Amino acid sequence: MLTLVRRYGTLVGFAAILVTFWVLLPDTFMTARNWLNISQQMSMLIVVASGMTLVMVMGDFDLSVGSMASLAGIVVAILFTLGYPVWLAVSLALLVGLLGGAVNGLLIAYVGILPFVATLATLTIFSGAAFVVSGGKTISGRVIPEEFGSFARGGLPLGEWGGIAVSIPNLTLLAIAIAALVWVLLEQTTFGRRLYAIGGNIEAAHLSGVPVRKLKLAAFALTGGSAALAGIMYASRVASANPTQGSGLMLTAIAAVFLGSTLSEHGEPRLLYTVLGVLILGVLDNGLTQLSVDSYVRQILVGGIIVLAVSASSLTRKLRQ
Amino acid sequence: MPLLSLANVTKAYGGVPALRGVELAVGPGEIHALMGENGAGKSTLIKILAGVVAPDTAEIRLEGTPARIDSPRQAHRLGLRFIHQEFNVVPALSVAENIFLGRAYPRRAGAFVDWRRLNLAARETLGKLGITHIDPSWSLGSLTLGDQMLVRISSAFIGEEGAPARLYVLDEPTAALNRGEAERLFTVLRELRATGASVLYVSHRLDEVMATCDMATVIRDGRSVDTGKIADITHDDLVSLMIGRRVEEAYPPATAAPRSETVLSVTHLAIRGGRPVSFDVRAGEVLGIAGLENAGQRNLLRTLFGDLNCAGGTMRLTGQPFRPRNPTDAWRAGVSYIPRERRSEGLIVSRPIFENVTLPHLSAQSRWRALLTPRREMRLAAEQGQRVRLKAAGPRQRVRELSGGNQQKVVFAKALAGQPRLMLLDEPTRGVDVGAKFDIYALIREMTARGMGVVLASSDLPELIGMADRIAVMREGAITDIVAAEEIDEERLVNLCYGRVTG
Repeated sequence: MLTLVRRYGTLVGFAAILVTFWVLLPDTFMTARNWLNISQQMSMLIVVASGMTLVMVMGDFDLSVGSMASLAGIVVAILFTLGYPVWLAVSLALLVGLLGGAVNGLLIAYVGILPFVATLATLTIFSGAAFVVSGGKTISGRVIPEEFGSFARGGLPLGEWGGIAVSIPNLTLLAIAIAALVWVLLEQTTFGRRLYAIGGNIEAAHLSGVPVRKLKLAAFALTGGSAALAGIMYASRVASANPTQGSGLMLTAIAAVFLGSTLSEHGEPRLLYTVLGVLILGVLDNGLTQLSVDSYVRQILVGGIIVLAVSASSLTRKLRQ
Repeated sequence: MPLLSLANVTKAYGGVPALRGVELAVGPGEIHALMGENGAGKSTLIKILAGVVAPDTAEIRLEGTPARIDSPRQAHRLGLRFIHQEFNVVPALSVAENIFLGRAYPRRAGAFVDWRRLNLAARETLGKLGITHIDPSWSLGSLTLGDQMLVRISSAFIGEEGAPARLYVLDEPTAALNRGEAERLFTVLRELRATGASVLYVSHRLDEVMATCDMATVIRDGRSVDTGKIADITHDDLVSLMIGRRVEEAYPPATAAPRSETVLSVTHLAIRGGRPVSFDVRAGEVLGIAGLENAGQRNLLRTLFGDLNCAGGTMRLTGQPFRPRNPTDAWRAGVSYIPRERRSEGLIVSRPIFENVTLPHLSAQSRWRALLTPRREMRLAAEQGQRVRLKAAGPRQRVRELSGGNQQKVVFAKALAGQPRLMLLDEPTRGVDVGAKFDIYALIREMTARGMGVVLASSDLPELIGMADRIAVMREGAITDIVAAEEIDEERLVNLCYGRVTG
């Protein structure tokens, strides 16, 4: 019984939320259009949360993903102003993400700084760099190539729905691809297995021949890369970049992973549940926005629901012992 | 009249009986051993006494008066004191502060702690139990685990208004202690007995029980099977009572002599905090490592395993130069390691059995060294599980759910899965029950019969004498003697460890 509450409490809550929105918003909520819209709004978060899952599997976390996303958006935009082609600008911005993440990994795995301290420091550094590079201004307008902005607006046509053309947004497809990639990494490769081993018992993993430091470095680099990709996606979506663009991503990504881990059998982060966690948060935000709930009240509600889900899960676990 | 008597104690967890009718009577001023294999119900019984677990049925009498124990507070009020392995002490505070933790410290001018009187009172408390080697002003964290335990006991010994201590319950107190510390603990227990208090002593270590306890009660499968005076029972009888069958030999005999070829050859190897060591391990040989706690055994094994870097000297593994820079290198070369601390170093208890077994061999078990092949892994884990006689629901079961002995078998399955040439074992039977212990010894014999070399570090001297072909004695970070196991007895080995004689 308690196990059921622990595992399925969040799901039942999610179902209740869905039904509530469906009843309150009969015309707009349960429509293909709205769900495709949600998926697009959530695509950046899915990418960041997937990357975050990699490090949270090891029991670490990365606070710098938000400011890395901002920095990557700025880098890509600045490179456009310098006349770089899209493919090169995007690749270089991704490289910045991988390198920034690798710096996190170096500080944590090789220097031995706590993830909280290390990524808090790099959060500040990346954010400062974004301001320095951009001069604190929003970069937009004609310097952003048309093809870059149109990527986010485009999609894969699905057909007609009630007389309106419906398509799966490119950003959604990209997010699904990244989530799939991280799922394969975590669930199907030796890399993922070893990350879980590190998260379970770092000393035993080390003595079992797991190269702990190298893997931490790699995982943090990938997390940085995912944050950069999300920043680039965001810049494409709004066809502009400003140095605080990604700041909301970090907390929500960590919340999504936590929310997802309450759903998994043994309470550990797993990619599919992370995606589900993102979805729950996305649906909440979408429904509350449609109901014209004030955005600050929305924040309070979303925060409260995270606390509720995670404490229900940990309380029932405690009771079971 | 017994101080404490229990009758008809039953307890089931979710329909599975853990206790099916236990009887136990502890007399005044006696040290009473509670014995049984892991899973026999000892810890459930202790938890019931401590008021942590509610029994389904129980008749509890203290000095003949029926009593109920509903809470730890109630147990304390009845004069029961529990000393666990994870005791509630504050390492950063002094010994005296810890002894009086939670009680009123002596005051000066009503407000300030009177440190001088506090230390005096602490010294007096320690002295009552014959503990004179611990200064109350030392910080507790600087003491050895054994001394910390003595401090904890003396803290429990302080009389309290209305609730004087009458019975001390010690659950596996020597699991983390070395021989000297354990001896000191026994001295203190005898002091306690002399003051009229009783002790209920839970231990796997038969020799300790035989040497220290007055009475023993054996429980098996949730029932008390026998109780009696230690003086009337033999070592072998106790073992067969505990496991329910007769054990012919404590240590299975070797089936073949060590072969002539050398598996590991170590020359002038510099180990951290010690002097260079040289020795050989032959194929099919068990080289025992004896020594007092922290005589360098752990560092030696960790250097052989590549976890500590060696500053100098050479190692050869089956003739090839061998210089592991990390455990990964060692596993790859066919060296496996059973670490001392099973839960913190040997296992990832939150993960399934098969993931633990295959972890060091994951690349070899995967397609293109990267893609997992769970079916192949599961087969390997099942094979190795069978080989080590693992009792588990299946390879997907989480290690956390297994008993201590079965957890250790998972560690062995992991070490054996890669077909190693050399096994390094650090206290492989610590905290393991008698039945599983015998299985582990049989496994070591099987390994040597296949031509593996084994290095066995142990503080259990009879185990070393029973299992090893030769024994290297370590003292202060160096190997001081290497003796043939069949030519030495326990007493002489102890003396070698202390450096009182030479081999």
